[in-house]
Amino acid sequence: RTAAPLSCSSKHSTKEKHLVLLRDGRTLIGFLRSIDQFANLVFHQTVERIHVGKKFGDIPRGIFIVRGENVVLLGEIDMDKPCDTVLQQVSIEEILEEQRLQQQAKQETEKAKVTALKDRGLSIPKADNLDEY
Amino acid sequence: MAVLSTADVTLVFSSLCTFFQETETAVSQPQWPENGGQWSDEEGGAGMDECGLAEMAEEDEEIDIYNNETFGMDMDTEVVDTEGDPTNPLFQFGEKPPALPALPSLSPSSPPFSPRARPQLRVQGPPGRRGRGQRGGQAMAQMFEDPAVVRTVEGRPSLQSLDSAIVDVGSVSYWDDLDPDAWMLSSYERTRHASGSVLQDPAIVCVMDSHAPGRGPNYLDSHYPFSNSSGRRGGLRGSYSNRPFGQRCPSQINTMLPSSPIVSRRPFTTQQPYNQVGGLPSPRPCPSTPQPLTPKMMQLRFGANSPRPSPFYSPSSNRVQRFRFPGPVTQLHPQHRRLLSQRQQRSQRKPDSWDPYCNLMSAKEKEWIIRLQMIQLQSENPHLDDYYYQEYYRRMEAKLAEEELGMRGKREPPKLTTPYVTKMDSYTPVVHIEGSLGQVAVSTCFSPRRAINAVAAHCPHEELKDIRQQRLDVLKKIEKLFMVLLEVEEGQRMKAQVLGEGEEKGLMEKTEIKVEYIYSQLQHPDLEAEEEFLPCLLVSKGKQLLARLLPFLSHDAALKVLSMVTSHLPVLMSRDSDESLPVLYPSLRIVIGGMTFSQLIGVLKDFTASLPDSSDGSVCLSLVCQSKFGLSLLYALLSQGERLLSSDVPLEPSIGDFETWTDTVFLVASQLSQSALVEPLLLPSNLLTLFCRYLDKRTIHQLKSNMESATGYLALPS
Repeated sequence: RTAAPLSCSSKHSTKEKHLVLLRDGRTLIGFLRSIDQFANLVFHQTVERIHVGKKFGDIPRGIFIVRGENVVLLGEIDMDKPCDTVLQQVSIEEILEEQRLQQQAKQETEKAKVTALKDRGLSIPKADNLDEY
Repeated sequence: MAVLSTADVTLVFSSLCTFFQETETAVSQPQWPENGGQWSDEEGGAGMDECGLAEMAEEDEEIDIYNNETFGMDMDTEVVDTEGDPTNPLFQFGEKPPALPALPSLSPSSPPFSPRARPQLRVQGPPGRRGRGQRGGQAMAQMFEDPAVVRTVEGRPSLQSLDSAIVDVGSVSYWDDLDPDAWMLSSYERTRHASGSVLQDPAIVCVMDSHAPGRGPNYLDSHYPFSNSSGRRGGLRGSYSNRPFGQRCPSQINTMLPSSPIVSRRPFTTQQPYNQVGGLPSPRPCPSTPQPLTPKMMQLRFGANSPRPSPFYSPSSNRVQRFRFPGPVTQLHPQHRRLLSQRQQRSQRKPDSWDPYCNLMSAKEKEWIIRLQMIQLQSENPHLDDYYYQEYYRRMEAKLAEEELGMRGKREPPKLTTPYVTKMDSYTPVVHIEGSLGQVAVSTCFSPRRAINAVAAHCPHEELKDIRQQRLDVLKKIEKLFMVLLEVEEGQRMKAQVLGEGEEKGLMEKTEIKVEYIYSQLQHPDLEAEEEFLPCLLVSKGKQLLARLLPFLSHDAALKVLSMVTSHLPVLMSRDSDESLPVLYPSLRIVIGGMTFSQLIGVLKDFTASLPDSSDGSVCLSLVCQSKFGLSLLYALLSQGERLLSSDVPLEPSIGDFETWTDTVFLVASQLSQSALVEPLLLPSNLLTLFCRYLDKRTIHQLKSNMESATGYLALPS
């Protein structure tokens, strides 16, 4: 049972932001303006939040229209709750740099793994697209 | 005011177009009969190509400007000082600073037309400026490929490029006599235009709204009313050009598409409140709709003409649209409902901060979607189909009830009653094509991606199967039996609901059959009588299965299971690597609670029976002491015996029962007092009483201390 459409009723006047996680891993935060039965979303004053480790950075994106099939989950952000997070906001350049480093490190470990396996005559078939099954 | 239809507008446009085209061609043809003398001599010699090129160049510039605006590279702000305050929203609206060079590519002949054909402001994106912007931006673009990032990093993006909401808000200042409501309407109409069509599907609307009769053609007829108001367009072109959209596209595009979003931005007001300004030449024309709008019709309408919260009529007159829970389609869990209403109250208490887009979706639309989703959630068996939701709220309820237990005593938790809904004919998804291996994957709306079931290759000869295959077989069997068990439990739960006599009996019969089936299936046909259940029991899931099946079994069958468990206890204990045996304990305890004395003795004998390869009967017992489950089982049995003995119920013992009993007690006591004990799952309170009767003080004392040390609390308040 989706709580999202029911809680959408709360977007009448108060500034209630929503957070959506997309299938490609992106996190968008903004005002959810419209929704339909396929969970297509219209986000307003959207901000894409990139998390790397304990840091995060926001990129303002404007208006987003998300096709419903790409939505993993959607939740309401409770502004009232105390924000006692350990996450630290940094500038965009910094977070993108961190992300780049993270990707690089991941790629390197992956490459090392593949070469190690190859040396032993094994090969793990890579799932290029996680959705295909 | 002249009212033009769509056809008229098109005609106007085409005539305008041809007019422009003609003038352009006129420029190129030196031998234009009438006005040849008007054009400059330079142009006289110019061929069509030059002017065509000029045309194209202008278009290119338009496109470049548009691209710049959309995709960033507003670098000019810091690079060019003479361009004035970049954050001034007026900046882009035609206040061309004198420092900017004129468009070099524009041919001198076109200026006479450009003020009319293209608003002056459009010119304000000269290639010079663009070039500067590009040069600065390219470096940034190489670092970040994302224009949004670039824009943000630059630090001071112009308001317009950031968010159209800000743009819209900024442009309100141009509309001095515009009040916010009318302006909201314009933006609504723009956004609602496209979405309106979905909601205007009469079928969907009929499903939705049972209490609003007399809908129908209202929607479709009045969907394009602004075509009537296009006559105003000419007069407003000037002000339109002030808008950001206008600056991108020449106003002739505005005229081109009467139903374009740009045009529909025209504030589309409801008649009643704004009738008095109908006569004003302000940007608030009063469209004449094909039929008079009654308040009732206004309420019913969706789409572009959906009424906004106005004081006169609207589905919800207050800003805070009251959320109506979806109707009788499907019920929310009471806890869920409570949560939502709490949230509702909380948000209602907060002061309303004005958000221009907050009511983009009307209450009806929200309700429609909610109802649609609820329809999909209907099922005959919510506990099965929607397990996680039900379980979550059931646990929440239980927790709340527990918390309130101290305060208010046990309160009957609100029961969830889902209305009984007949499920549609179940769709059989199996599609088997002859000659194929297994099944074919068929996508339907019920199963978008159907995984192909692997069809197991059956080995004809049982003996040839290897151990792994056997284990796989057992696992598969357990899975199948579990499905049947779930049905049995479901039947049990349904029985709790009020059913008719006949229905209940039929249900009982069906349940019986299923239980029998599972029981028979659990017994492996090949093995000897004693070891029937063993293969399934050695698997932890099999233990769970049996534990859940036990309540449904007849007493005899249950006893058989119990005796089997006790007789194979050593094997079970040794093979219990993941410690899943205790799952059997609760069910077995209940079975023990119903045993007679003789039955009890019979089972107890297994505990003390000597293993074939060991002479000492206490070997088994010492193992038992080390196993939680074994020890708890032993305790339970002894406790039952004590209970039976101390109760007034006649025991009807067989011959030798009492002797066996006392022997067992002695043996157990001596064993327990000697070996270290593990903490049992449950320590019955009458155990020590039992031991006190048979044993001497010293042994008892030892026993007591041993048991207490294991459990950490007193076995019996002394």
